Amino acid sequence: MTMTADDYVTNVLNAMPAATPRRAQIAAELRGHIAERLESGQPLETILRGLGAPAQLAASYLSEVPLASAPLGARAAAKLADVCLPVAMAIPIVLLGWLEWGNAFLPFGIAIMFGGGGLLFWIYTVVAEWQSGQTVGKRLFGMIVVREDGARISGGQAVVRQLPVLFQFFWIDVLFALFTERRQRAFELLSKTRVVVAPRPD
Amino acid sequence: MSPEPPAQPDRKGNDRELRRGSLELAILHLLSSGEAYGYEIVSKLTARTNGALEITDGTLYPVLYRLERAGFVNVRWETPGRGVPRKYYDLTETGRAELARLTREWTMFAKAMTDLLRSEEEPT
Repeated sequence: MTMTADDYVTNVLNAMPAATPRRAQIAAELRGHIAERLESGQPLETILRGLGAPAQLAASYLSEVPLASAPLGARAAAKLADVCLPVAMAIPIVLLGWLEWGNAFLPFGIAIMFGGGGLLFWIYTVVAEWQSGQTVGKRLFGMIVVREDGARISGGQAVVRQLPVLFQFFWIDVLFALFTERRQRAFELLSKTRVVVAPRPD
Repeated sequence: MSPEPPAQPDRKGNDRELRRGSLELAILHLLSSGEAYGYEIVSKLTARTNGALEITDGTLYPVLYRLERAGFVNVRWETPGRGVPRKYYDLTETGRAELARLTREWTMFAKAMTDLLRSEEEPT
């Protein structure tokens, strides 16, 4: 199937994190450029070849935005904020259950809070980082998860990043961030992702 | 076990930096005579250098993006009669200062290289 100009621009944008500055302007300029070339009589295929593969063009744009590793303190604070939010939501539910059903509810309630809640939290983290590069905590503390070249991470990378949380070896994984140049955890190195300071908004 | 070969400098990276630096200078120079939009910049660069500095569209736009973020150019949008918006780039004062700096550096580099090549051509 032939790629349309809109498909091309969408693919370029999809390869960039949502927080990339001036995304809308990049799209408008590319659309304008393609229209201009089409008017001068060039075939769409030639024009798109001149612009390069969408992922490659996105990477060229992103290479112009310097990446600064997020400070470890801010990352810890963001994680704490991420954890506090669901815990704050779960505590009233467990309390209500306890008031309604008494002590018999407590083991059940706590199991739900840590097991079910933990799993939901894990899924939330993966989906949020995959879709926008940011959880609530990361948004609050101005940081974003990207590929090592600055591009948006894939679903697979989002899963691999969070495996240490799922299999309960998070603390060992975190230790790597103290010694690696770009402050990456072991599973961030493995997934070729990193956490950087989010670029200034437009 | 054989020893590891000595580390080679990143030639690809150096080439890319050199190209990027010269392209930045070329674009700033072109904009010093007045505002222009992307397609116009590509066409002018190709025409004024008789095709020697033919750049791809995919190379130009990320460089313009960097110049804009660095504050070297101002931008304004205009939608001509046909309805497709154009983004015009114009040099800022910081951009002019950067152009002067890059021009000085480029001239010194080109002169040094020319002197070197000439001295090697001459019989000793």
